[in-house]
Amino acid sequence: MPLCSANCGSNAILKRPKTGDALCKECFFEAFENEVHFTITKARLFEPGKTVAIAASGGKDSTVLAYVLKLLNEKFKYNLKLVLLSIDEGITGYRDDSLDTVKKNRDDYEMPLKIMSYKDLYGWTMDEIVAEIGRKNNCTFCGVFRRQALDRGANLLKVDYLATGHNADDIAETVLMNILRGDLARLNRCTSIITDSGDGIPRVKPLKYTYEKEIVMYAYFRKLIYFSTECVFAPNAYRGHARVLLKDLEKIDPSVIMNIIQSGESLKVNETANMPTLTKCSRCNYVSSQTVCKACVLLEGLNKGLPRLGIGKSSKVKRILEENEKKNCDSTSCCRTNNCKKDIEGVEKCTDKLSSVNLIK
Amino acid sequence: MCSVGDENFETEEEKCMPAGGKITLANTKCNKCRENDPIVVLRSKDAYCEACFLAGATHKFKALLGKHKLIRPNDKVLIHHQIGHPSTALLHFLRCGLDLTTHKKLRFDVIFVYVEDNSQFTVDYRKEVLKKIENEIKLFKFVIKFVSFNDYIVNNNKLGDIVDNPDNLTLNEDDKININNIFVSKLNKTNKNDILHIKKRNLLIEIAKNLNCKFILTPEISSDIASQLLGEISLGRGSHVPIDTGFCDDRNQDVKILRPLRLFDMKELAFYNKLNSLDPISIKQTEINPYSSVQDLMKKFVNDLQVNYPATVTTIMKTGDKLAINDNGKQKCQLCMGPILNSNEELSSAESTSFSHWVSTQKPDNSKEKSRQEKYDSILKHYKVSENNNYCYSCKKIEGSIKS
Ligand SMILES: [Zn+2]
Ligand SMILES: [Zn+2]
Ligand SMILES: [Zn+2]
Ligand SMILES: [Zn+2]
Repeated sequence: MPLCSANCGSNAILKRPKTGDALCKECFFEAFENEVHFTITKARLFEPGKTVAIAASGGKDSTVLAYVLKLLNEKFKYNLKLVLLSIDEGITGYRDDSLDTVKKNRDDYEMPLKIMSYKDLYGWTMDEIVAEIGRKNNCTFCGVFRRQALDRGANLLKVDYLATGHNADDIAETVLMNILRGDLARLNRCTSIITDSGDGIPRVKPLKYTYEKEIVMYAYFRKLIYFSTECVFAPNAYRGHARVLLKDLEKIDPSVIMNIIQSGESLKVNETANMPTLTKCSRCNYVSSQTVCKACVLLEGLNKGLPRLGIGKSSKVKRILEENEKKNCDSTSCCRTNNCKKDIEGVEKCTDKLSSVNLIK
Repeated sequence: MCSVGDENFETEEEKCMPAGGKITLANTKCNKCRENDPIVVLRSKDAYCEACFLAGATHKFKALLGKHKLIRPNDKVLIHHQIGHPSTALLHFLRCGLDLTTHKKLRFDVIFVYVEDNSQFTVDYRKEVLKKIENEIKLFKFVIKFVSFNDYIVNNNKLGDIVDNPDNLTLNEDDKININNIFVSKLNKTNKNDILHIKKRNLLIEIAKNLNCKFILTPEISSDIASQLLGEISLGRGSHVPIDTGFCDDRNQDVKILRPLRLFDMKELAFYNKLNSLDPISIKQTEINPYSSVQDLMKKFVNDLQVNYPATVTTIMKTGDKLAINDNGKQKCQLCMGPILNSNEELSSAESTSFSHWVSTQKPDNSKEKSRQEKYDSILKHYKVSENNNYCYSCKKIEGSIKS
């Protein structure tokens, strides 16, 4: 058994995918926490005295984020007020368990919790939407509603920051996806650790440089309680391909993840890519690139009994779409409510299982 | 955290990667002249007749060279010859262009070079391959020179003999072992591929200088460019994408590398050769595990896209074409010769990794009196960003593994 790289004298229990160093449990905790602190201070993520909403799903990333932020806030005297923010999409059986986990986080970490439901925000639960529209197109709804829900929640709570649990793997995957999509504007900013969604509440990613595998190991050794499932929403085809590619790359050389982020941070876009200018939705006053935001268009359709409104651009597009779906997007076009299904091209989605982690036996 | 749904797609069909269409040649006319019956479908959607296809290919080749107006009349141009359809098509494009009597005639002088790097085979087989190459070039009435890649590596990156007759190339059965012994044994296959790629480029530039050529033409096609681009991103060379994959690599002041075939795909050039009755010489293929290195994986990934989603290969290239070289620093990397970025105040992935390694190797301070803040401060106090400014991010990692 190798000795801990920190020379503490103990035996190592894990090999870090990020650096290749072998660490014992205690040294791993300290390294993990010091690194997040380094990221927070070096990137100046927070100002003292402010309120931070932590986007909490009950999953490993947000659970570890909440735990570490609380710990660092106390040890390093950030003087931040931390609150948990959860979204309840209203999918029977899906959120029940994960919301219980978030409630456990609330009690364990003594943080206030705000749960925003789709019913509260939009008047519809996802179950009701699926009943209305069928399973085929409900991704559009999940995506648009989910994204807005966090922002709206943060606004309602009047917080100063919204912290999300995006980890290094997520960022690298998004870089690859934006290259496959040819989305220069998003490629240019998807590696930013602080982004502005236009409403004055910065979205920050304290785990940007933290490997997913190390998050799993940290949660495991700290015995943190989290809801062990991946997102049930199927990724779009580009993200699906990027995800499979990144998993394969990681097996060849785990440092590729940091390389891709490095590339994303250092590349320069030639021409000013067309980014939509942001205005406010005339219906809900929410920040949007259109006069009526996508969520309001979809809601209008639902409320008027025309649920497909806003999904396709024209009937021709719809026809092409339906054909395409039959052909190649079968596995990526609908939301699934079963956990741990195989992702496209046969890759296991449940990456938060410890079996995939570098433990030293 | 799951990022699914973060993309802000406007419509549902944007989420799907366009699949290759299934056009049949029956009942269609040539896309260009709209008269003749088509004989080939390109990019799974455009059907062409023979005349329009050949005219289109020739035009595409000349248009890309002409658009950039880099080569001037009577400039000497070195052609990096390889084995396969792209190089054979390039021979034909050049021969036809140079032989024209119209104003469209290519007006530069060309000289070919073959860099011998087949040490995985026996000496006898390698000699056989060289003879075939010599004959292929003779068929087109061009001049070719031969250089040994092994010599260059073994002699510490010094350009050896440039020979006219392949018989004069020194080939040894243990060339492969010698290369491995020099630096490669310490590197994983990804870094080994990377450094050999860089050394080969450096060698080509040396050869061009020696032969007084201002330009080098290389035969990469679209799928090579796309997989190269994804590979560069995965190795942390994002700021070098324009010179590593663009039409013109101008990192060297005296010699520019141009990629005139980068908009062609393999089917197009194979068809071009077939219609011109050209049969490229063949060489034994060695079995490669696509999961053994980043570059091999990217080749497989792009080849799969080319079959199932050809439009996405084009998108990858277009993404690359919209990137600019990031050279905020004046210094050049001693290995790859690309610009080294100035580190600014902002936290970067490179710095995060180096800090992670630092905290993983610091002996823990278990004294009860010190606060967490004090312990952290003492770790940070001794942490220094290594100011090795001779290498870029990626080459620094390679140098690190060679030295370790
Ligand atoms: Zn230790
Ligand atoms: Zn709205
Ligand atoms: Zn025609
Ligand atoms: Zn370099």
